[in-house]
Amino acid sequence: MTNRSLILTGIAIVAITAAAGIFALTHQRTLDAPVNDAIAILDATGARIGDYRIPPDSSIAQEPNAVAIMLGKRLLNETARLLPINVGNGLNCNSCHMAQGKLSDANTYINTSNFYPAVMPRAGRAVDLVTRINGCFQRSMNGKPLAEDSSEMQAMVAYMDWLRQDVAKGARVAVRNAGPIDDTLIPDPERGQAIYAAQCASCHGANGQGMKDQSGNYIFPPLWGDESFNIGAGMARTYKAAQFVKYAMPPAMNLIPPLGTGGVLSDQDAVDVSEYFTHMPRPDFAGKVHDWPTGNKPKDARY
Amino acid sequence: MGRIVKLFIKLALFAICGLGISYAFAISTPYWFKPKAEAHVDVTDAALIRQGAYLARAGDCIACHTAPGGKPFAGGLGMQTPMGTIYSTNITPDAQTGIGGYSYGDFERAVRKGIRPDGTHLYPAMPYVSYAVVKDEDIKALYAYFMSSVEGVRQDNQPTTMPWPLSMRWPLAWWQLIFAQPRDFAATTTDPQLVRGAYLVEGLAHCGACHTPRGIAFQETALADGPNSRFLSGSVLEGWYAKNLRDEDTGLSTWTVDEIVDFLKTGRNAKTAAFGSMSDVVEHSTQYLAADDLTAIATYLKSLNARDGRSPTWQPKEDLTTAALKAGDFSAPGAMSYVEHCATCHRMDGKGAPRIYPALAGNSMVFADDPSSLIQVTLAGGRMPRTPHDTMAFTMPGFAHLTNREVAAMLNFIRNGWGNHGSEITEADISRMRHEIARKPKHYVPGEQE
Repeated sequence: MTNRSLILTGIAIVAITAAAGIFALTHQRTLDAPVNDAIAILDATGARIGDYRIPPDSSIAQEPNAVAIMLGKRLLNETARLLPINVGNGLNCNSCHMAQGKLSDANTYINTSNFYPAVMPRAGRAVDLVTRINGCFQRSMNGKPLAEDSSEMQAMVAYMDWLRQDVAKGARVAVRNAGPIDDTLIPDPERGQAIYAAQCASCHGANGQGMKDQSGNYIFPPLWGDESFNIGAGMARTYKAAQFVKYAMPPAMNLIPPLGTGGVLSDQDAVDVSEYFTHMPRPDFAGKVHDWPTGNKPKDARY
Repeated sequence: MGRIVKLFIKLALFAICGLGISYAFAISTPYWFKPKAEAHVDVTDAALIRQGAYLARAGDCIACHTAPGGKPFAGGLGMQTPMGTIYSTNITPDAQTGIGGYSYGDFERAVRKGIRPDGTHLYPAMPYVSYAVVKDEDIKALYAYFMSSVEGVRQDNQPTTMPWPLSMRWPLAWWQLIFAQPRDFAATTTDPQLVRGAYLVEGLAHCGACHTPRGIAFQETALADGPNSRFLSGSVLEGWYAKNLRDEDTGLSTWTVDEIVDFLKTGRNAKTAAFGSMSDVVEHSTQYLAADDLTAIATYLKSLNARDGRSPTWQPKEDLTTAALKAGDFSAPGAMSYVEHCATCHRMDGKGAPRIYPALAGNSMVFADDPSSLIQVTLAGGRMPRTPHDTMAFTMPGFAHLTNREVAAMLNFIRNGWGNHGSEITEADISRMRHEIARKPKHYVPGEQE
């Protein structure tokens, strides 16, 4: 081997090593999102019969009735602004059905369209989905029902039908509308008042008045007063409210998407604060005389 | 053949001699370049201790010298560097594992000059380059506080994870010779408020450690303001972009002095909130500073003029976003994702909720020159600092479950919505940030599982 070829070989080795090093240092494999977690689809016996994945809104465009689904999504998000004749207060459907009804323990819509029609104790008879939605308009939103065949009502139903995906009637996705709460706990409204001031008032206001944006739309819904839900709403009941408050409130408390909800209050905290805010002054509900016609009124019913 | 071998041997001998001389020179620097300056300090003087406690807050010693969940000042916080993780040290007055055996001269030299009593050179993760301008009387107060008021904790320091030869410390002597000359604070104005602000910002508060761009040798490219200075013009550390603090377009031009003071005191203001590393700074340091000092800092920052080629004001575009979203027009790329994942809190108008959910419209972090913080807070989430001013502190959840494509589109929508405008974020940027987040250093707390 000549000196020249030795030097050339050396240079080649150094060059190849350097090139490999630079490539290794600069080239990074692509890291992307983990696969969307599947939620079990259960049959009537509780056996897993399939997988459900929460669909992204971007997939709505592929549906034949995409326009109706999108309208439904908007109406559920911005009910007070878009349906001012029917909404009598400052609430939207999604004030309670958080994250567009896609969040377990926050009144999700995922199983809603498969659940109805169903015999409901409060009505004492079978109730279908449009009747149930109109119940919300008259109670939680303290307003007037929508015409059952209106495009707005049908749009909201279309959104819920879409969210169900291909889950068959009779089956259900393993998510909860609301988490469990110990309903034997005795509420202490004075303690609840203190919890309200510390944990709720920042957003919902010291007087339960909520908070509006610069255009006059509510960012945070009012929890009592004329602009809040009436006594006929499920949310006006201590233990039902406590289920929501414990698991879905407050939002922005942790790093878990979509809203970082809950994990702050104990059962007793939730019951106490719910007793406090549900029993503050709020609109009456004229239709209350027809509720629970067959008895079995829950102990936290307001009338 | 023989000639080549001889040449190699010569080169090797030359290199060894050179290294030897360089090493000998480096370990000699503590004796002539940065000698110890002893002085008497009465560590029982209550007023001095009180002043030291305040200055320790201003210097934010606790933030780096405490691991999450660990004892105050006992060290163990891991800091990510390109070469490995280095751990902050125990600066409690424990005689064996902390700084209990330090004389005033030892303390002064470590804090202002970056040299330990045994002559070891400190990594510039310790901001001695900034602390160099802290006055003698303030160093004395700090010494009195640490020696008499901080609780001693027996906790051994953790070695770095840097592999040899990167773990050798003596080359830092050369780094210090070039980049960490001992120096005094030099006021450039007679306005006492600006002087105080500059003294705090350049010195104890060491804002430049994160907010000034670093050079190839990890040195801060400016230590004080000057004509066309890069001082505090924004830099990335651990995947967080410490924003441009100069009074120019994407810097602090959209912030008033009062908004800066409110932010430093409470961790938020009506438009935005601290997150990431700045959340720690507010929680451990700035919330404790006196109103006068915060106003001095804010006034000084607002005096940092726009550089050549940069505008002293921010010009937003017309807001077409709010009307489009409210009309149900989600056709812009990323708009659908924004409404699905972000709008509940940040709202259709991008204004959020004052002191609760930061606004995205007109938020200088959103349209910052470097989008790293925007990307990281979206993927990993963030927490506001907790201060007595507000009863609730809020978090932003992390959206790492969304694909790179969706996150990039969503962030470009935010970065260019409601009148904002900024450079484009790519899917590769999102992937890079996922690597950055996966590399986060582990902290060391005794008794905790590794």
